[in-house]
Amino acid sequence: MIRSIRRNARAICLGALLAAGVPSVIWAAEASPDTATLHKELEQSIKMIDALAARVKELESKLASIPAAALAAPPPVAAAPAPAPADAARLQAVEQQINQIETANASRQGDDTGLPVHGFADVDIGNHNPFHAYEKGASLNNLDLYLTPKLGGKWLSLFELNFEVDFAGNVGVDIERGQLGYQFSDAATVWVGRFHTPYGYVNTALHHGVWLNDSLRRPAFLMFEDQGGVLPAHTVGAWLTGADRGDGGKVLYDVFAGNGQQIIDGLIDMRSGGNDHGKLIYGGRLGYQWTAGPAEGLLVGANAFESRIEDNQIPEDLTEVRVAGAYAVYDTDTWEVLSEAYLFDNVDVYQSEGTHRSNAYFVQAGYRLPSFIPYARYERAHLDQTDQYFAQQMTGFSYYRSAAGFRRDLNPKVAIKFEVANTHYTDRALANPNLFFARLPVTSFNEFLAQLAIRF
Amino acid sequence: MQHREALPYRMRIAAALVCGLCIAAAAHGAGLVGGVRLGVLPQSWRDDNGSPISLSGFTGQRVVLTMAYANCHRICPMTIASLTRLQAALDAKGEHAEFVVVGYDPENDDPAAWRHYRRSHRLDRPSWHFLTGTDADTAQLAWQLHFERWKYDEHVMHDSRVLVFDTHGLLARELGPETGDWSDAL
Repeated sequence: MIRSIRRNARAICLGALLAAGVPSVIWAAEASPDTATLHKELEQSIKMIDALAARVKELESKLASIPAAALAAPPPVAAAPAPAPADAARLQAVEQQINQIETANASRQGDDTGLPVHGFADVDIGNHNPFHAYEKGASLNNLDLYLTPKLGGKWLSLFELNFEVDFAGNVGVDIERGQLGYQFSDAATVWVGRFHTPYGYVNTALHHGVWLNDSLRRPAFLMFEDQGGVLPAHTVGAWLTGADRGDGGKVLYDVFAGNGQQIIDGLIDMRSGGNDHGKLIYGGRLGYQWTAGPAEGLLVGANAFESRIEDNQIPEDLTEVRVAGAYAVYDTDTWEVLSEAYLFDNVDVYQSEGTHRSNAYFVQAGYRLPSFIPYARYERAHLDQTDQYFAQQMTGFSYYRSAAGFRRDLNPKVAIKFEVANTHYTDRALANPNLFFARLPVTSFNEFLAQLAIRF
Repeated sequence: MQHREALPYRMRIAAALVCGLCIAAAAHGAGLVGGVRLGVLPQSWRDDNGSPISLSGFTGQRVVLTMAYANCHRICPMTIASLTRLQAALDAKGEHAEFVVVGYDPENDDPAAWRHYRRSHRLDRPSWHFLTGTDADTAQLAWQLHFERWKYDEHVMHDSRVLVFDTHGLLARELGPETGDWSDAL
């Protein structure tokens, strides 16, 4: 304490000297006309220094008379005064203000009018390409962008833009789904636009997001139209869908109608630009899903649709396509079992050659282990080649395939999948020289495939 | 003397304002820890009995919070399994925490669905809470806590994260897939 006071006193003296004396001396040396004034100021400064020195001496003598014990003891601390009521109120107001800032910041989301972009992408590597048997190695499969612009209220929208490699190896862009909808309630939503035709399970559960599928790919006959599928996976029209929830389960239903598809150059076309041949497709699906009880995770259902589908051959064929299907899915924390079956009862309208019956089905079972999901799948299609609906499709041949593979999630957004498969074509590997697949010089082949699939 | 006593209050007020503005500015920055309180999250929830419950009501207790949905068979089972290991680790240390699971998918995960989920997954400890809210509150909570949440038709796309709030209701820890064994994290 004493040392501190001494240091302060000396510092004050030195400061005063520097502030007042030194400049005066310098100015005096320059023999300015105000020398007398400066002398006077110097004398005043000296007097002030003397007064300060005397004061320091007085303080030092007082401190010397205080007992050492008293100096060592901490100075008594007065109890902190309680905050004045005004201060407490202000503090409370500030706390309230901070809460408001935090809450306002938190609620910024409500003002967010931006459109989040999500989607999927995957890259495949394999020893065989079913569309180009001579091409091997890596392939860019697809980049799928999923947009759901908010329209407010009960209005809904959904767009799925897909960049994918086509048969010729070129990248094409397609609006795979473009739907505008209105949700009346949980039990009824109506969509108009282009949607995935509600049949079976896979077509409306897995969509284009390859990452979503536990297996590396869909069954061949259920692929999308431009990837080898033989069913009209997309419809442009209107779709009413909903669920009625009850204790232990829910009833799911779909009713739809849209532009009748056409087979153009061997591929089913969903006529996105409009119905230019006056035919309709219409159908429905009904299912029940158990959400509790011993059958929890089980979903069963049936579906049917009918359409008159023509092709672009000369003369063009016209087939009344009548399809009935059933599906069963068992999806739990451990098991994922998918199965679908379809019966075709197609009527040749143009040539009046009667009814042609065909069928296709698949069963896939996967088991969810903590670190990976092994699966196996068997699929088969018996497609009548005298049925113009199949005969005119590039991939409308009969086949059977056995496949096994596994999926491993590297993180919640990245999955790697492997699949080995053996495929047999059982009818027309060389049936139609005008079709693309006439160039496929094989009737059976093995595949070793790998896939890196992501979502974002 | 009065002038000298008033100064700390001004400083506290100024510091509080600065802190508030920093929190506001950084709330959606790179890290959440220390910047989020239970009190500023949406509060209107129902538990699996259908009773109203608020998140700020957990203040005073350590809270382990995650989001999940009952019909998820890929990520959520692993998240819940990690939580049960976390619970076992706390039990071994003689410590307590409240486990709060907020439903991602209120359209399907109503209290009855969570009640069934709790029963079928044997998560019957009273310190575990399964909450359902409105879609708006659920979206708000996910946004504030940086939980990924978007729907691909009926599928809820989400990540696997767990947040630990301290007894003051302040976010103290984030656990994710990269954190490793969560049971060692507390």
